[in-house]
Amino acid sequence: MAQHVRIDIHILQTVPPANLNRDDQGNPKEAVYGGVRRSRVSSQAWKRAARMRFEDRIPKQDLGTRTRKVAAELAKRLKARTSLDSEKAARLGTAVLAPVGIAAGKKAGNTAYLLFVGNRQLDAVVDLVADRADELAALDDQALEKAMKDLPVADQFTQNHPIDVALFGRMVADIPALNVDAAAQVAHAISTHAVEAEFDYYTAVDDANENDADPAAGMIGSIGFNSATLYRYASIGLDQLHHNLGEPDAVLEAIDIFVDSFARSMPTGYGNSFAHRTLPSLVAVVVREDQPVNLVSAFENPISAPRGGIAERSARALAEEQRRSIEMWGDKPAHAAFAHAFGPETEKDLETAFGAAVTITELRQGLLEQLRGYLSR
Amino acid sequence: MTASTDTSILLLRLAAPLQSWGENSKFNRRETRTEPTKSGVVGLLAAALGLERGADLSTLTGLAMGVRTDQPGTLLRDFHTVSDYRGQPLKQSGVNAKGIQRPTTPAKYTHVTHRYYLQDAAFLVGLAGPPDTVRELAAAVKRPAFPLALGRRSCPPTQPILAGTPASELLTALSSHPWQANTAARAGHLRGTKPAFVHLPVTIDDPAGGETRQDVPITFGLHDRRYMQRRVRHTTVQIPTGFPEPDAAETGSSVPPVGHDPFSLLDW
Repeated sequence: MAQHVRIDIHILQTVPPANLNRDDQGNPKEAVYGGVRRSRVSSQAWKRAARMRFEDRIPKQDLGTRTRKVAAELAKRLKARTSLDSEKAARLGTAVLAPVGIAAGKKAGNTAYLLFVGNRQLDAVVDLVADRADELAALDDQALEKAMKDLPVADQFTQNHPIDVALFGRMVADIPALNVDAAAQVAHAISTHAVEAEFDYYTAVDDANENDADPAAGMIGSIGFNSATLYRYASIGLDQLHHNLGEPDAVLEAIDIFVDSFARSMPTGYGNSFAHRTLPSLVAVVVREDQPVNLVSAFENPISAPRGGIAERSARALAEEQRRSIEMWGDKPAHAAFAHAFGPETEKDLETAFGAAVTITELRQGLLEQLRGYLSR
Repeated sequence: MTASTDTSILLLRLAAPLQSWGENSKFNRRETRTEPTKSGVVGLLAAALGLERGADLSTLTGLAMGVRTDQPGTLLRDFHTVSDYRGQPLKQSGVNAKGIQRPTTPAKYTHVTHRYYLQDAAFLVGLAGPPDTVRELAAAVKRPAFPLALGRRSCPPTQPILAGTPASELLTALSSHPWQANTAARAGHLRGTKPAFVHLPVTIDDPAGGETRQDVPITFGLHDRRYMQRRVRHTTVQIPTGFPEPDAAETGSSVPPVGHDPFSLLDW
């Protein structure tokens, strides 16, 4: 833990009228900051959106799935790799998990926890028994249990965490050995400006209403919405991620996938009613060797723009805050780069704070170059 | 705790859009107190030092803590649902005699939880301890081993966190640091008046205090989360606002509090 390398990701993203993340009243979530009402998207909502994107991006053997069917998965793999029939494979799949304390649930094939386990880990567990599968399957229950006790199954679950477990953590209250501390910290996204809660009152008319026999609407209601330029912030601890994943290559891959997925993903609430998917107008990554720095204070005094340009002003305020923080504390980041969609004036302003303006591809490459240096030390 | 000559104070400014300081809420309703808890602050320092879960916390819990509320903030309820990634039914929260979590019957697919946050709040927290310890903690807060959070992982603090390490008494340190409220909160507090001072509430560890808090962590180990009690008392401190005194020539006059604050009579 000699180095405390952090990767901070700052994103500004403008969202049209939408309701991405609702509360129990069905209205968009909000928070008060700097004395005014802001639109808010909770960290858990955005993390889930990012995790759903991992599905498409990560090679299958790396993807952790939050599944209770660990035993069933093991059985399936055992059946594919050995000569066991379904029943024997299922029995062995359950038995192999017993010493870990992942007890069999009531329904066959369901283990008792919502585990966030990687396919690679499942393969590793199967490796432990595949060669002796026939011999083990022939044992009676007691002898089988005894044979399993000597296998390092728990180690397989505590090493080589798949990427999303390594990033977002895992908690199984009764088996501390399975817990993983998250390497990523994600803040609730809030709008850089004050928002009004708006309501769309709608009436639905029955098209089959002949000759206007019934002149009323078939249904009425209202949908809460707002539009906002959101400031999104996440930070990854390189040491923690290295600790969780073990392999430098996996660490780099995880960071690359996270940066890309976090930037591109969006919660899908009310998507068909609002078609709200946008891409960020600014993605800045800052690698620091001291501590994570959340720049939300740039927006404590809410941005106001009587004639448009909230996103642009937000970007300038963010650059200003970054410059101020560097000036005040004298902590120059080890690496900074940003990709943006603003004009040349704002670009100049941003360059004084976040290094070079690059494309998102170059941003990811540059980040990995920088991190490779740390990991090879 | 100890004489003023050999204590330093670690001053922390805890401010962010959201903070959450739970004391003893469990399960699906996670509440927050109106000010930082000892367990929350000790957890933040343990994260800064890079202590593992289950590490001995006695050095940290031994520091006397005082909290000054510079900006009380307001309560936010976050409606938060939990469901299985794969669309399978959730487990019961309790375990049966074999220690197994049975699936919910009838199958339940979504847990509804309520998590409470303080929004738009700012606190000044002081911890009194030996100068060496305070120096070490100050360095750790500047270069934390694990990311710092204000009571919950999704609440990263805004900078600066470290507000200094004066060598003085706890209450003296808390009453001599400038007011940390932001522009909007200042305006709301002063309501157009221009007093020379504001009175800010302080909650401070005091063995003779009249109130107990069950928030002193023994360990953060996942299996053994136990908390001890501490005694606290409430007081107020007078902080200059930067406005000139109405009549500096007048001597010995105590400055009236801003507006009418009935709670000041209660030492609240």
